Amino acid sequence: MLKVPLSVDERWNLIDRISKQTVEFGARKHTLKDAIAELTVKPLTGIPVAIAVLYGFWSFFVDFAGTLFTDGFMVRLFDEHWLPWLQSVFPGGLGNPFYALMVDAGHIENGVLVASDNCLESFGVLTSGFFVPFGVVLWAVLAFYLMFALLEDVGYLPRLAVLVDTVLHKIGLHGYAIVPTFLALGCNIPGVTATRPLETRKQRFLMITLLSVFVPCGAQIGIMQDLVPELMGWIFLTLVIGYLGFGFILNKIVPGKSPEIIMDVPPYRMPMMKNIVSKLWIRTSRFLLVAVPFVLLGCLIVGLMYLTGAMDWLATVLGSFLMSWFGVPGETVSPLIAGFLRKDLAVGVLGGLMEQGIMTTFQVFTSVVLLCIYFPCLATFALMLKEENWKEFLGSIASLVAMVLVYGGLIHLVGVMLGVA
Amino acid sequence: MNEVEEKFGQIYFAVLGAVALAFGAAELIASAGEGFTWGILDSSGAADPMFLPWRAIILLSAGFFYLSSVKNFAEIHQLAKAVLGSIMIWIVAGMAIWSRIAGSIPGEETWFNSLEGFLASYAPPYCPEVFLLPFSLVVVYYILKEKEAG
Repeated sequence: MLKVPLSVDERWNLIDRISKQTVEFGARKHTLKDAIAELTVKPLTGIPVAIAVLYGFWSFFVDFAGTLFTDGFMVRLFDEHWLPWLQSVFPGGLGNPFYALMVDAGHIENGVLVASDNCLESFGVLTSGFFVPFGVVLWAVLAFYLMFALLEDVGYLPRLAVLVDTVLHKIGLHGYAIVPTFLALGCNIPGVTATRPLETRKQRFLMITLLSVFVPCGAQIGIMQDLVPELMGWIFLTLVIGYLGFGFILNKIVPGKSPEIIMDVPPYRMPMMKNIVSKLWIRTSRFLLVAVPFVLLGCLIVGLMYLTGAMDWLATVLGSFLMSWFGVPGETVSPLIAGFLRKDLAVGVLGGLMEQGIMTTFQVFTSVVLLCIYFPCLATFALMLKEENWKEFLGSIASLVAMVLVYGGLIHLVGVMLGVA
Repeated sequence: MNEVEEKFGQIYFAVLGAVALAFGAAELIASAGEGFTWGILDSSGAADPMFLPWRAIILLSAGFFYLSSVKNFAEIHQLAKAVLGSIMIWIVAGMAIWSRIAGSIPGEETWFNSLEGFLASYAPPYCPEVFLLPFSLVVVYYILKEKEAG
């Protein structure tokens, strides 16, 4: 049979004929579920509900990952049992290079090298390298993906997308962009992958660039919550302002189109336990497979850089620039280097500096924000290379460098003006 | 829903809305200052001060939702507002209870909390949302009624 392509009018006629044969038309009584569904997409009623849902999301995250598992059990397990046991049985002892790499580099107190008393400061492959992914990050990621899967399966996420549609249009994206953004809050890798359904190259470029700069992953959030809980609100506010502000600027200067999209908003449904468990398993196991090797490698490289004196050299070379432009001490070089491998690990290094009293609160705040925005982790970097063409990739890197320099400098300037920097 | 149920719903959710608004306003004032603990009522945000202003906003919104549902309460879209108000209270109260559960399991010196320590974790004072929780459950009756009718 000869296939002749249909014209637009013929297609619409065909759709009419099919729908007349298959669809029953008539009055339909609104149910309570329909009424709730409508209220949750209208801004006046939907925004307060969104605030309540996000409050629930965040509270669960903090208490599950922070209070119950990390502070409740993991800190004790690693600091009171695992670290002292390794310190007592591992050959070499304090000052031995191999021991420093694997167990505890120690730190100087009053001119004397002393052993660390917690796994964040010890910075060994077997101590910090295990504590960061299994003591902190695993529980944060588990809590995040559990809540994410619940919202997804209940049918709330598409409604959140409708609610933020107007705001995201201002930065050249549409409501659907909330899905990659949310996913990236768990791990940037699925976030970048989830940009594929965006219609144009411009939208994908904008989304990938904004994700890799302004969206911290679950691992990073978990460890930030553990180290600087009192600064979390300010850190997130700074990142949201950056996300929207730089998104607006990028939308103006990047050529291309940002078309409208018709989104399917499904009805609310009762989530199925089987689906939730399988999503949780797939996402968490994939995350661990990617994260653990990078954290271990990160510990090893940072440890080697300390041992060979490379870190001190870099701190001296870059110290004056970091201090004058961003207002952070030269010691921040080591977390920034570690951050290229894993951001969570980098915040852990920062934790060690904080406990030694090297930085002021504002410097801690600036350093954590800088760590979030300065560069995507190696795994995200590799995925960006895969998802973008060379031109876009170089564009992303150039935008990223510009954003870090401008925004980091701006934060410092605000601090100076407020008299806190 | 019959007339008596509608009338009861109107009065009940008007009162509950007013109480939720009052609690929300108190939490908002508390979040601007040091917070306060009054008998068994806690608006200090001691556990996490970052959450206190958000709790206040949610409670105020729940109060408005209840109050705006009162007129023509039997109409499905109006009832939906009361249901949303209750859902918002369930989220905040549920998280306050979850926070206590999470804090009550690990011990201070031992792996797990002692029985006394565990029970002491659930002692008052409580945040306003926890007090509103049982009263907000009345909406379940109306949801079931609506399900029966639908």
